[in-house]
Amino acid sequence: MTPGWILDVFAGLMLAVAVASAARLAAARLAAARAWPRGPVATDTGIAHLLMAIAMAGMLVSGLRTLPDAWWEVVFAVMTAWFGYRVIRDARATGARALAGGHCAPHLVHSAAMLYMFLALVPPGGAGQGMSGMGGSADRPSLAVPTLAFLFALVLAGYTVWDLDQISSRSRRLAPASFAVQAAVPAAVPAAVLAGGAGDSAAWAGIDQAADGPGDPIAAAPGAVRGALLSPDMSVACRIVMGVTMAFMLLIMI
Amino acid sequence: MSEAAVTAGRTGWRGNAGAQVVTARPGLDPRRALQLILAGLWLLDAMLQYQAFMFTKAFGQMLAASAAGNPAVIARPITWDATLVSQHVVLLNTAFATIQLLLGLGIAVRPTVRLALAASIGWAVAVWWFGEGLGGVLTGGASPVNGAPGGVILYALLAVLLWPAARAPLDRAPLGRAPIGGALIGRALIGRAGGAPFVAARAVGAHVARALWLVLWLSLAYFALTPANRAPQALSVTIASMESGEPGWLAAIDRGAAALVAHQGLAASVALAVALVIIAVAVYLPVRAARAGLVLAVIVAAVIWVPGQDFGMILAGGATDPDSGPLLALLALAYWPARTALAAARPPRAAGTAS
Repeated sequence: MTPGWILDVFAGLMLAVAVASAARLAAARLAAARAWPRGPVATDTGIAHLLMAIAMAGMLVSGLRTLPDAWWEVVFAVMTAWFGYRVIRDARATGARALAGGHCAPHLVHSAAMLYMFLALVPPGGAGQGMSGMGGSADRPSLAVPTLAFLFALVLAGYTVWDLDQISSRSRRLAPASFAVQAAVPAAVPAAVLAGGAGDSAAWAGIDQAADGPGDPIAAAPGAVRGALLSPDMSVACRIVMGVTMAFMLLIMI
Repeated sequence: MSEAAVTAGRTGWRGNAGAQVVTARPGLDPRRALQLILAGLWLLDAMLQYQAFMFTKAFGQMLAASAAGNPAVIARPITWDATLVSQHVVLLNTAFATIQLLLGLGIAVRPTVRLALAASIGWAVAVWWFGEGLGGVLTGGASPVNGAPGGVILYALLAVLLWPAARAPLDRAPLGRAPIGGALIGRALIGRAGGAPFVAARAVGAHVARALWLVLWLSLAYFALTPANRAPQALSVTIASMESGEPGWLAAIDRGAAALVAHQGLAASVALAVALVIIAVAVYLPVRAARAGLVLAVIVAAVIWVPGQDFGMILAGGATDPDSGPLLALLALAYWPARTALAAARPPRAAGTAS
């Protein structure tokens, strides 16, 4: 049996993702209200991360269940339709690149995988919800159409390693750039970061310090937190953790 | 394709009033792409290792079974390891799965790729011995269809071939059977580009890479022809035995494949061996023939993986890895001739016209 504490660890990671996503959404609203310079914080992906993380935590540990499965099925059906629409819209603009490296394609896969898990979950003996009840091959929950679970796991693993590669290459590339940012005209900074396609925590912290004034210690301290929360890399990091967890859940339920 | 070619013309950073910092967005060169696929496979292995089955005594029994038929010097440590795993299965299996998870993540993260690849070589060799009984190569029962020479040793081979050498070695090997002038110009082109004729040559050089390929595929051809594998029903029984627990569509493929080779063991083994020998020598042929050989390698890997290995039996549950099929295909991609090599093989006039 997969030990309960391993499921607990993954559930803990999901709760951390949920908290980070909620904080990121709140920080984005605050930044918009106060006209702080900020990068693109997509509300839909933030909400998607928040909901997926809560749902997965509930699947991993029955004590963390929040909504009935039928509700989650509706939620993830809507989410899949929404990201499907966005991928199609992106594909019209950029062609197949929208599927390979686009912003919404990973979220479409995540949403569809969640929908599949809720629809295909066969509970052990029809009793006990959540995966923590598994106590052997006869008692563990499984997934109908395991081929689909395998395919989803492959795609999720692919997006995870891709995200890790991109986030690590960006961090290396932007490390020297973040020093340049602090010396630049603040108004130019968001456009510059957008043009670069991404940013990292250090760069965003630098941006906020430049905007608030480097001499103000009160503004500087929250600036670092804001920078980390509003950084696009925070969203990617959440996606990586969720991708690994989702692939784990899919494969142990085959 | 060189990194410079991929990133040419892209501006990574645009600012105002002299604050412009231009950084090239690093492109994904072919070697990095293959490293990421390898990382994905390690991640997949890790997730499979977390399956419920692996936390039972059956995992220890599975390890112990790999000792059977091996010489005592090989078998004894396997038995010791299997006993140890049976006694501490939760602790040790968690450690095994986490190590593989870290290897996958480490290869995917650029700053740690060297460390992770080096660690993966040591881990793969250990698992090849203690977990797979050297892939059965000393037992007489190894077959390309059942994963010989052991899927996990292919991870080590890939880690060596995809090692991020600081500078691609200049290739001084003949470029196939291109006209002499073309080969000379080709070497000059490759020299200027600082590249190798294929990705696998960048770390160890073309001679060593080709030799490794030759040894691997010739050994597979040898295993295909061993008495245990050329028996009339050998291949058919191997394929049919995997049907249990698989989804209906895959079980149907198994049944069809098993029926196709029923009582045809010798013919099937010879056909497979011939294909494997062609693949083995393909990397020494001119570029176009080499490409054809590599396409054949991918096809053979796919045939081995689907009806032969049932995707490593992942869909039936209880698999520890996706088996050797995808790794053989990944290896073939690592030997795919680079564009510079194709240009080099062209006659001088054609190359000049193309540019």
